[in-house]
Amino acid sequence: MTCSEVERVLPEFLDRAPDDSFPDAVHQAEFETHVKSCLACADLVADLKLISSAARQMVESEEPAPRVWVRIAAELRAEGIIRDPVPTPARPALVPTAPRRRWSAVWLAPVAAALLAAGAYVVSHKPVAQVVTQQVSPVQVSPVQVAPLQEATPGGAASPVTGANVVTPAPETAHAQRSEARTNSVRPNPTKPANPEVAAAHAVAPSPSVEDQQFLSVVSTLAPSVRATYESQLQAVNADIRETQAYVNRNPRDADARQHLMDAYQEKALLYQIAMDRIQ
Amino acid sequence: MTDPKQRITEAEAIEQAKQGDEAAFELLYQLHKRRVYSLCLRMVSNPAQAEDLAQEAFLQLFRKIGTFRGESAFSTWLHRMTVNVVLMQLRRKGLPVVSLEETLESEDETPRKEFGTRDVRLTGSIDRLQLQRAIDKLPPGYRTVFVLHDVEGFEHNEIAELVGCSIGNSKSQLHKARLKLRDYLKFMRAEKAKTG
Repeated sequence: MTCSEVERVLPEFLDRAPDDSFPDAVHQAEFETHVKSCLACADLVADLKLISSAARQMVESEEPAPRVWVRIAAELRAEGIIRDPVPTPARPALVPTAPRRRWSAVWLAPVAAALLAAGAYVVSHKPVAQVVTQQVSPVQVSPVQVAPLQEATPGGAASPVTGANVVTPAPETAHAQRSEARTNSVRPNPTKPANPEVAAAHAVAPSPSVEDQQFLSVVSTLAPSVRATYESQLQAVNADIRETQAYVNRNPRDADARQHLMDAYQEKALLYQIAMDRIQ
Repeated sequence: MTDPKQRITEAEAIEQAKQGDEAAFELLYQLHKRRVYSLCLRMVSNPAQAEDLAQEAFLQLFRKIGTFRGESAFSTWLHRMTVNVVLMQLRRKGLPVVSLEETLESEDETPRKEFGTRDVRLTGSIDRLQLQRAIDKLPPGYRTVFVLHDVEGFEHNEIAELVGCSIGNSKSQLHKARLKLRDYLKFMRAEKAKTG
């Protein structure tokens, strides 16, 4: 059997079940003899097997952004496919759940608006000190140096980045890190840190802000599976904000990253809004 | 996450979703979101488009959930629906779901190696990001067959039915896709080695 003949029967060899043999025993013997004696064909067979097995590992490797479910749920609700549960008979007056929930959710509207304002502020604000530092002092970034998350406040003020938090990766390192984080997804996967930057963003996850605690308190009144979804979505979007903020801190001129940060804030505002719509 | 005592099975969630229960829809989404989104991302290589396609696949599924009778696995139903949504999108954009060989030969930027000559082998393991980049470079038709067969585990007869080609064509395109991926991956490794 020649090399080109090996290539012709190779798909049959690769795609057979492990315990299957070639339909033609002569072919199989010739194939195996050739592959044993020809390094190029042996390499080819090994490489194609490797590619196939690596591909199989990719089947569930990507996590969609939380906004996907938010949009699906909104559409299902709009189409009447998701139906509100039938109200249960009146409860004893000692448990006035519904009015309290409505009242407790009032804070969500200004917080959602404030989040958007905070996002816009952070995105539009260019920390000059960082730009200068990045230009004059490129050093290797260390995960422990990542700037902490700027939490938005209900008043809409996110504290500006200060020089104390400045870290400046070498341009090629920053580019490589960003490429790694963004190759598969515009939104880096918050559940699977792909690089030190992401890992650091997760590592420095602060305790929930006052607003997040209120949000969690409100959604805790919902069904357990719904509550779990809101919790995981909040965690994911907070991790995304932290991660992107850390990147923007080091690359203040990166317009894509700033836009991504704004998107993340919008997503968080949308999450608050959806929760508010649901509870009221 | 969810209290284990409150956990319901997929079959129970499907029944509850038929009644319009949001929590049931969410559970079904959570169970299958990674598989569906990953499939969309591999096929279109664009995260924003992949999100839209995943959303569309779930919406189509949830709209028809009342007709699901359980004869086939729910996941099989969903994945076939996802593939159809993606293929429909590719067709709408005028991208070939089956490669046109003569066109592809001219698009092929990677020099093809002659058989019988040996060069660097892809030893060890293949990095997922590198493989994804290589898949992204595949022409859409090759990519479709490769993703459906090697990533998603569809058989050639299923692929032929889904994309509307012969079984032989599916096998041939899969093999060519693997060969191209090998070339791309070796090229990437060589480039990486050069840049240090």
